[in-house]
Amino acid sequence: MHHTLIVFLLLLFLPTGYVQVIEDEEPVPVYHTGDNIAWAAKGFNDKNWNTSRSETDEGIFWSRTHLLLRPVDNNRRPLGLQIGSFGTFDVYWDGVLIGSNGVLPYGHRPEQPGTECSIFIVPDSLTSPGAHIVAMRMSQAYLPDVHRSIGFKMEKYTSLLTLPLITMSYMNLMAGAFLIASLYYFFLYFNSKHRQVDIMIFATICLLFFCLLIMEYLKFHMVIPYPQFYIRLEIIGWLTFTIALLIPWYFTIQFHFKWKLWLLGLLLGVLLGLYYFNYGNYDLTAKLYSLVMLIASFMVVINGIIQKEKGGYIVFIGLLASAMVNEYLFYDYSLFISFTLIVLCMLYLHAIRASSIESEHQEALVLSSRLQLELLKKNIQPHFLRNTLTSMMDWVEESPKEGARFIQALSAEFDIMNSISEQTLIPIRQEIELCRQHLSVMEFRKEIRFEWKEYGIDDAQLIPPAVLHTLLENGITHSIPLQGNRIVFKLTYTTGPGYRQYVFDTFAENRPVLTGREGGNGFKYIRARLTESYGQNWTLHSAATAAGWSSTIKILDR
Amino acid sequence: MNILIIEDEARIAKRLQRMTAGFFGNKPTEIIICDSLQKGLSHISSKPVDLLLLDLNLNGDNGFEVLELMVSASFHTIIVSANTDKAITAFAYGVLDFVPKPFDQDRLFRALGRFLAPAIKTHEDIKYLAVKTAGQVKLISITEVMYIKGAGIYTELHLKNGRQELHDKSLELLEQLLPVSFQRIHRSYIVNMEYAEKILVQPGSRYGVSLKNEEILPVGRSKYKELRNKTL
Repeated sequence: MHHTLIVFLLLLFLPTGYVQVIEDEEPVPVYHTGDNIAWAAKGFNDKNWNTSRSETDEGIFWSRTHLLLRPVDNNRRPLGLQIGSFGTFDVYWDGVLIGSNGVLPYGHRPEQPGTECSIFIVPDSLTSPGAHIVAMRMSQAYLPDVHRSIGFKMEKYTSLLTLPLITMSYMNLMAGAFLIASLYYFFLYFNSKHRQVDIMIFATICLLFFCLLIMEYLKFHMVIPYPQFYIRLEIIGWLTFTIALLIPWYFTIQFHFKWKLWLLGLLLGVLLGLYYFNYGNYDLTAKLYSLVMLIASFMVVINGIIQKEKGGYIVFIGLLASAMVNEYLFYDYSLFISFTLIVLCMLYLHAIRASSIESEHQEALVLSSRLQLELLKKNIQPHFLRNTLTSMMDWVEESPKEGARFIQALSAEFDIMNSISEQTLIPIRQEIELCRQHLSVMEFRKEIRFEWKEYGIDDAQLIPPAVLHTLLENGITHSIPLQGNRIVFKLTYTTGPGYRQYVFDTFAENRPVLTGREGGNGFKYIRARLTESYGQNWTLHSAATAAGWSSTIKILDR
Repeated sequence: MNILIIEDEARIAKRLQRMTAGFFGNKPTEIIICDSLQKGLSHISSKPVDLLLLDLNLNGDNGFEVLELMVSASFHTIIVSANTDKAITAFAYGVLDFVPKPFDQDRLFRALGRFLAPAIKTHEDIKYLAVKTAGQVKLISITEVMYIKGAGIYTELHLKNGRQELHDKSLELLEQLLPVSFQRIHRSYIVNMEYAEKILVQPGSRYGVSLKNEEILPVGRSKYKELRNKTL
């Protein structure tokens, strides 16, 4: 593990910290159009050759590059020569053919294009310290107008082959993580009841990032002929472009950024501008994209910190780290590492949100069980139970027959309470039955004639348990009977466009309020029950009327 | 005898009325039922009342808010309530008894018996005496009371801080409510023994109690022996 870590770190810093085999910083090739095998020789005088290639069309041309080699330890041998170049070519090292990239045109046979990066083994006998010559017999039948210089690198042959693969393996590790994250969040998005845009964006970012990593190392998976070289860069460019747009968008959602559309519009404009003005300059464009993305993200996150949003500081630090990496590390990796840091920040934000959603859910569960308890308590709270029992005692002593009826009425009310106590919604009929049983119990206690009237009840409707029952209790408690010692309750059900409602009227004289009422708990219970089942889609109005009291519960369609 | 029942449960009110009437039997008794605090209060302010039977939770009104007012009045209050957890508080305020619902005849008779026999002391601890001053009811901790002096139909509470408060209850009614540390030493005096220092025997067989603040209260001849026995 340690070992691999060291190798990885070494890879990161290799370009700056390692003594190169080729002494020249940037060896300059010279060109000559035409074809002569003598041009491969080490001793050939190329003084009058050009440093730029003339128009060669589909024809053969030659390039010669002088390389100065440093002394090389035996353990760095055999040396390999890595050539980064457009076109198709045969390579001669000090006049000796060491390999070819693609197949050069021959007679009527057209060119079979080579790939941009090729590696050749150089015999140990030819790599003594000092001056050497790489001569290339070339053609560039495709994209003949593209003038790319030729890049050389020398290193131990096996290292040239394996080091990029080791890098790729680490990058693939990262890519795999992003692929899994992407799939997970896509599943999450498509399977959740309340689909959230930010989850979709996050999943997309992970997927694009996976694609970006794969595209970056595509050359190790397949041979890309040089004519198709730019397609890959173009794809990478657009992937970076999209990611640079999506990441700030994601942050605007997470941090409730107020000027979201303005910022995203501006961002899109700047990114398009960068694409247009730097067309063809792929590395620079990608670097500028990520810079713009960082600036936009910083704006959103700093605003988030000012707004005291959760996770603001952590993300700010993450962005800062990402910016540092972007600035100070070697480009090829820095982009990915800085992106990874940002995606980690996003993942962290998700974790925060998930945990807050979980605690909300827990609270909802706690609320539900509290409401359940409250419902059960209605019948065992001392005021109800002890007053009922006292009246019952009296009835039993005075008139056992009536007493027995009273006990039956109470037991029927208990039965209904019991059967509804664990539900969050019950059939309206059951609720009405509960109310009527309660009235018959209260008739024995209060010796008032209670009348129940109902209009327009739709038996198919559901209602949270004991909501009407609570309104009824209030009506009994706070009313003075009408003439004839009676109180009338009326339940009316109506529907309208987008809503259905219950109006519960009490026809009686309202008792004057004397002390600070302990009440209000009843309404709290009703509100909590309505919220539990209907979220925000309900209203409750309760007020005195000329005839008594009227409460309206309106349930809005979603 | 005027008895007021404040109870919003019609059946229970009738039960109280029936049993109370039965208890007092052939004594001329008027029993009034009020089904709300408001009616009860207006009745109290206009008619004389000797005993109040009060429910604490009426039509959603909190009876406790008027309990202070009731116990500051000249009559005894018996609470008849479902809120049994409030019993200790009710006694602390100075009610004669707390009858928990559901109640039978025996339990109610016991409470009414106390009313008829002032010698029976309440066993629960009264903690406050409620007095009306300037239209407001104020609770005075009984540990602040040094002695109580009868003054016609009122009583004067003499407090540790030197101030005096008038209480509407007679010396007899207060004696019944107060704990044993309060001793009747004279026709017109109840003393808090916590503040008594020594018993004085003065020339001419006159007795007295000196208090910590050097005040001397007279001790009735008949009470002297009782007092000596208790303090010895």
